Amino acid sequence: MTLTRAKISWRTIVSRMGLFSLIWWVLTNGAGSSWWIGVPAVLLAVAVSIALVPPAPWVWSELLRFVPFFLLRSLIGGVDVAWRAFHPGVPIAPDLCIYPMRLPPGLPQVFMVNTVSLLPGTLSVGLDQSVLKVHVLDSRKDFLAELEAVEQSVARIFGASLEVSEGRE
Amino acid sequence: MIPSDYLSVALLIAGAIFFLAGTLGLLRFPDVYTRLHALTKADNVGLGLIVMGLVVQAESWAAVGKLLLIWVLVLLAGASVAHLVARGALQRGIRLWKR
Amino acid sequence: MQTLYLALALFLLVNLGAGMWRIFRGPTAADRMLSAQLFGTTAVAVLLLLAQTKENTALLDVALVFALLAAVTAVAFVRRAWTDQEVDHDSE
Repeated sequence: MTLTRAKISWRTIVSRMGLFSLIWWVLTNGAGSSWWIGVPAVLLAVAVSIALVPPAPWVWSELLRFVPFFLLRSLIGGVDVAWRAFHPGVPIAPDLCIYPMRLPPGLPQVFMVNTVSLLPGTLSVGLDQSVLKVHVLDSRKDFLAELEAVEQSVARIFGASLEVSEGRE
Repeated sequence: MIPSDYLSVALLIAGAIFFLAGTLGLLRFPDVYTRLHALTKADNVGLGLIVMGLVVQAESWAAVGKLLLIWVLVLLAGASVAHLVARGALQRGIRLWKR
Repeated sequence: MQTLYLALALFLLVNLGAGMWRIFRGPTAADRMLSAQLFGTTAVAVLLLLAQTKENTALLDVALVFALLAAVTAVAFVRRAWTDQEVDHDSE
């Protein structure tokens, strides 16, 4: 259940330097002359980011696999809600449901909370001690399967294992 | 017009339709939670499609990167703001509409 | 293509104007905040379209700043300014 915190390794520093350099390059429209300011800025950003967001054991390949899943599901989410907004009868049956998360607290839970709001028919409305409150747009649909699939993906991204569910059907 | 222009036009118009859906939901849905559903999801997809429509036209990789960066920022902001507003509404006792 | 970009930007502005109804109507402070979010996303989309029309890449940076600011203002509002207890008008 606990997330093993990785030590600050060269791998973390190098990958964050790469990421911030890429952002700098994008911000300056690829102007080569700006690196006089860019290099100190990138180094500062790496230092600040390590202080604020301690390195988590990301599994990059799983994150990359998550991107197309997320894009597709959020597109479906948009189509779903757009259809309900256009429909003359406004076909919605909202309800509030409780989802006890098995993910470790911290970044993995935050990641899941934010993802849920962009997926079809679900909206996070509260997080209290690993229990996620979800507002669902149509309670007739099987949203539990969706939430479980997301939780599995997030667990894989952070290399966390989900305990075998206890006291949950 | 070259073929990529047609793709661009289709993506841009589709994006605008999602923005329209977001506003319709904002006006027609019965409570703040359902309106949040409409706004967060439809507008993010709308912006995503418009970004894609412009990416097709982009002249440099840096421009593509900037467009995608903007979209990712709006996506992150949208999701966390939606959560904050919904949580605040629930804590302040705004009841949810049920059929 | 130029005409299309401008037409779409205009369409999004009209769309935004329609969304303003929610600000006036409310009924809760939460509803008014939704329109603030609508503003953020729509403004970014309009700026992106205008940047393409005018071939003015500086507008892309304006959009970027807008995207950041929209998030900051909304979070600040929820955390700081939204203190009153809500009365539920929605179920009337």
